[in-house]
Amino acid sequence: MIHFILRRLLYTIPILLGISLIVFLLFHVAGGNPVYRMLGKNAGPEEILRLTHQLGLDRPLWVQYLHYLGDLLRLDFGRSWETKQRISEMLADGLGPSLCLALPAFVLTSLLAVAVAMVSALSKGKAPDRLLVVGSVLGMSISILALIIGAQYLLAYRFDLFPISGFELGWRGLPYLALPVLIWIANQVGGDVRYYRSVLLEEIGRDYVVTARAKGLSRGQAMRSHVLRNAMIPIVTRLVMEIPLLFTGSLLLENFFGIPGLGNMSINALNASDFPVIEAVTLFGSVLYILANLIGDVLYAVFDPRVKLS
Amino acid sequence: MRRIRRVHVLAAGALLLSCTPSRKDLGNTYRGVLITNIKNFDPALVQDQYSSMCQFQIYETLMEYKYLARPYDVQPCLAAAAPEVSDSGKVYLIRMKKGVEFADDACFPGGKGREVKASDFIYSIKRLCDVRTKTTGWWILDGKVVGLDAFRKASESLPPLPEQIHPALYDGEVAGLRALDDSTVRIELTKPYPYFKYILAMPYCAVVPREAVEHYGEDFLNHPVGTGPYLLKEWRRGLRLVFERNPKYHHGFYPSEGTAEDSAEGLLADSGKALPFIDRIEYGIYEEYQPMWLNFLRGNLDRSPIPKDNYGQAVTPDKSVRGDMAAKGIRLFRQKDLDLVYTCFNFEDPFLGKHKRLRQAMSLAFDADHAIDLFYNGRGVRAQSPIPPGLFGYDSTYRNPFARFDVEAAKALMAREGFPGGKGLPEFEYLTIASSDSRQMAEHFAQCMARIGVRIKVATCTWPEYLSRLKQRKIQIIGAAWGADYPDPENFLQLLYGPNESPGENNANYKNAEYDSLYLEMAVMQDSPERKAKIRRMQEIVAEDCPWIFDLHRLRELLIYKWVSDHRSHAVLDAPVKYYRIDAAMRRSLLEGPGG
Amino acid sequence: MTGAVRSRPWRKLLRDKLAFAALAVILLYAVVGLLALFHLAAPHYRDSVGPPYSPPGTAYLLGTDVLGRSVLERVVQGTRIALAVGFVSTGIAIPIGVLFGLMAGYFRKRVDDFVVWFYTTVDSIPYILLVLALALILGKGLVSVCIAIGITSWVGACRVVRGEVIKQKELDYVQAARAIGARSPRILFLHILPNVMHLVLIQASLIFVEAVKSEVILSYLGVGVQGEPSWGVMIDDARIELIGRGAWWQFAAATGAMFALLLAFNVFNDALRDALDPKSAD
Repeated sequence: MIHFILRRLLYTIPILLGISLIVFLLFHVAGGNPVYRMLGKNAGPEEILRLTHQLGLDRPLWVQYLHYLGDLLRLDFGRSWETKQRISEMLADGLGPSLCLALPAFVLTSLLAVAVAMVSALSKGKAPDRLLVVGSVLGMSISILALIIGAQYLLAYRFDLFPISGFELGWRGLPYLALPVLIWIANQVGGDVRYYRSVLLEEIGRDYVVTARAKGLSRGQAMRSHVLRNAMIPIVTRLVMEIPLLFTGSLLLENFFGIPGLGNMSINALNASDFPVIEAVTLFGSVLYILANLIGDVLYAVFDPRVKLS
Repeated sequence: MRRIRRVHVLAAGALLLSCTPSRKDLGNTYRGVLITNIKNFDPALVQDQYSSMCQFQIYETLMEYKYLARPYDVQPCLAAAAPEVSDSGKVYLIRMKKGVEFADDACFPGGKGREVKASDFIYSIKRLCDVRTKTTGWWILDGKVVGLDAFRKASESLPPLPEQIHPALYDGEVAGLRALDDSTVRIELTKPYPYFKYILAMPYCAVVPREAVEHYGEDFLNHPVGTGPYLLKEWRRGLRLVFERNPKYHHGFYPSEGTAEDSAEGLLADSGKALPFIDRIEYGIYEEYQPMWLNFLRGNLDRSPIPKDNYGQAVTPDKSVRGDMAAKGIRLFRQKDLDLVYTCFNFEDPFLGKHKRLRQAMSLAFDADHAIDLFYNGRGVRAQSPIPPGLFGYDSTYRNPFARFDVEAAKALMAREGFPGGKGLPEFEYLTIASSDSRQMAEHFAQCMARIGVRIKVATCTWPEYLSRLKQRKIQIIGAAWGADYPDPENFLQLLYGPNESPGENNANYKNAEYDSLYLEMAVMQDSPERKAKIRRMQEIVAEDCPWIFDLHRLRELLIYKWVSDHRSHAVLDAPVKYYRIDAAMRRSLLEGPGG
Repeated sequence: MTGAVRSRPWRKLLRDKLAFAALAVILLYAVVGLLALFHLAAPHYRDSVGPPYSPPGTAYLLGTDVLGRSVLERVVQGTRIALAVGFVSTGIAIPIGVLFGLMAGYFRKRVDDFVVWFYTTVDSIPYILLVLALALILGKGLVSVCIAIGITSWVGACRVVRGEVIKQKELDYVQAARAIGARSPRILFLHILPNVMHLVLIQASLIFVEAVKSEVILSYLGVGVQGEPSWGVMIDDARIELIGRGAWWQFAAATGAMFALLLAFNVFNDALRDALDPKSAD
């Protein structure tokens, strides 16, 4: 087991290097010389050369890349061009609010999706199933932007059921989060239901379930005692893979509802051409994805004896 | 199945909790609005209106604007009295108030703020002029103070901040900027700039303690340490900004001079009383107008601008506040801004720069009044020249022959210039900021130009991109606006002064020898009929040359609940909360009453 | 032999009425888009046709916007942009994905290692942030939006094609082709590719849907199409007037147009899957 985890860890190293390389190329090579931006409007050519040299931007690219890697290893993302804050501090500040929105939304979406998928799978081909499938396709076809604007206008503004926007840390923030969480669910649940439904159906079709049913178990009993247990593996895999969405999936939601999280931060950075911040959020999201992948694989290996650890 | 049930419980819980949060006891708190994230608290870097509004709570300058006086004027703030100006108009002797201390902060020995001295002002100005501070405000002193340009030059060769502060340079003398003793500053100008007193009141010239700059280094901009009425208590970007009363602030008093009108409005009831009246300021940061507007209507904010799409909800066609708003205790304030919205042509463009009649035709084809209706709800007046009403040199009878809407005249000019119906012209790019409003205005401009056959392609970008393209002259036509830094027409006329071309503020890169020489003369003249005549001539020159289309001067309107008293709009100071007073009891009863 | 295997699913697809309807809707959009492209439909979308904010009615079918422009004409022009983004992005993503997938699945070893590493890496970077960063760096406009979306969304296709090629490679027809001495490129493109085409088609329609959705978000964020009424731009405009003035028509029109197109694609994609790849569907 430990060998497996170690090997898996080793495997993430080239991926991490690949990500850092892509991000480096994007922001440091294609993104242009930041010196013009840093020196402001009245900079002379000498000044530009001097700062370019001080920042090491005149060295060969591979040397710059190595230095860049070194900074990343020290978790030093530099400072924002716009607010001059340390980006590591900005990330730490934004994480809490992002999680406040994303965690409940994620948990509720997943529970709802699995439950609906079960209902749907149990009644395959009948009216409830068809209705749910149609519903989830409809849900998948709406743009999140339209969903946000429509829901904010109708539910918060016209019918006054929710606060328009705002945020508080802790319990006082709950009322503010209710609507964004509902929108998140509405946007996400369609795709999830369809995935879980096909997972469950595949499991229901397997020999052992057919056997169990032949032995007289009801569909519900078979579902609970066999299908769900075995389907847990692909379900958990998908759940884990969705974890990174917690940080970036809420880009627009955070912006519209004034939640000062990472998504909002990214949009502000975008509007200010604040490349270092966008870069840091991109890296952060990527690393989370890889971690989630790793955890998923390990869980998979722990829970499914069929997975060979080689 | 247990899981499914829990889903229902949670969802129901979320719905139940979704009522509006209860109002906590507000006490003596003012709740204001910031419509954007403010950048930082470093006076050398302040650039936008909202950042300077927040800095005003914390930092002070030698001079400050009078709150009630119109036309705008300044009075001593950290100075003890008005500057003694020599007969030549070049030497300023300023005595500073004694006993004013910086707020307590960890950067001082023992955490106790010390007394402010003349040397602190000298240091602050030198820091502003140090190349390495990367200030955006050097232009206010550029070439104006004896020896300061040499100081700036010397700072270029120093190692970058914050590794080395380099005391030798800072402790050295600058001839035109000296402390005669602990409380006397002597400034010697290169020319007798009449508006220098206003420059002393600009946020760039705020007094900062050297200890804080050195202690916080790169983080100084997040740790303001000043002498002003408030202290920064909490700052969550994207959410809110909280100030609390500075217990060591004792040197500010409510103005006691005012007109009979001020007195009738109750603006003199607090004359001579110690400032500030309000203990705590909470700014909500709203990047979208709608949440701000709704929170204001629900009484969660004390003061709010009126978003253009909500105008009809607040103001009647005869320009007074609507009855249901008035019943809630909302009052309307109207204020002529000292500003100009304009459309700028780049003279380096082979077509736009060379063809005066083309520019004149485009100016005639622009339907400014329609734009004022569409985008400003009629809150603005068509501009005729660079100078906004309220400034010396503004003449309400002056008519610019091309600042009117006349499509036929425009077509005739196009034909005379050899571009009948736009034939022979390329498509021009109109650059603006990527926001819905700016884009719609640009599209309106394109529509107007289409009428005379000029094709316009609208391009949008972020603010930093916009600035950098201006500086590099990579523009054809842009939409722009200028707000007064100080109430002198020079501040507007310099925008077209030849040597100020990009990367300076003359983004049209316009050059006219007569205009430039008139500018140099008027810049150092006291207000007089002679100065007025020169300004008039300058207006005529730019009207004929048409480097800009003069769009409008904006009229600002805002709504305030009546529990805020001592409120007066000010075109240079935005929301100087230190003068406001809150009637907490009235607020409580109005908010809890049947209307709230 | 391959023809015989694949004809039945196609017939099944054609018999599916829902899929047929969806296809019809997509074709309708395509026609409208083409008409708009050649200025045969909605040529006056830049001009004022009436007073600002006129509600829908007989004079203006879908009302007018802030500058008095016809919302109907703008929606039609938006269709052109959405389709352009969808087709061009898919046209960029699919060849990349298919080529990488074919090579990785067929040659395995080093090539496979590299491709798998490459797509895992790209896949690890949050999609929307990568697209945003690319659009920022490439500059604004239709072309860079298409490129940004195109070169970030090939991963799914690559993964699926690779998996299928690994399976197909062991099948008799490939072995037979090899036995008679066919060269690798010939086997890959003439024998294997036609047999994975159905998966490519499914992936293409998925990418199309994602591209249209992404364009709307990019346009809303101001890094999208410039100076044209894309649906994202319209929704951005409509957002303010909706709450401020209750002017709902522009929002409804852009949202509705997008919804119908995406729905048609989703339904069609489902039917495609049902017919061509029964294993991955229910």
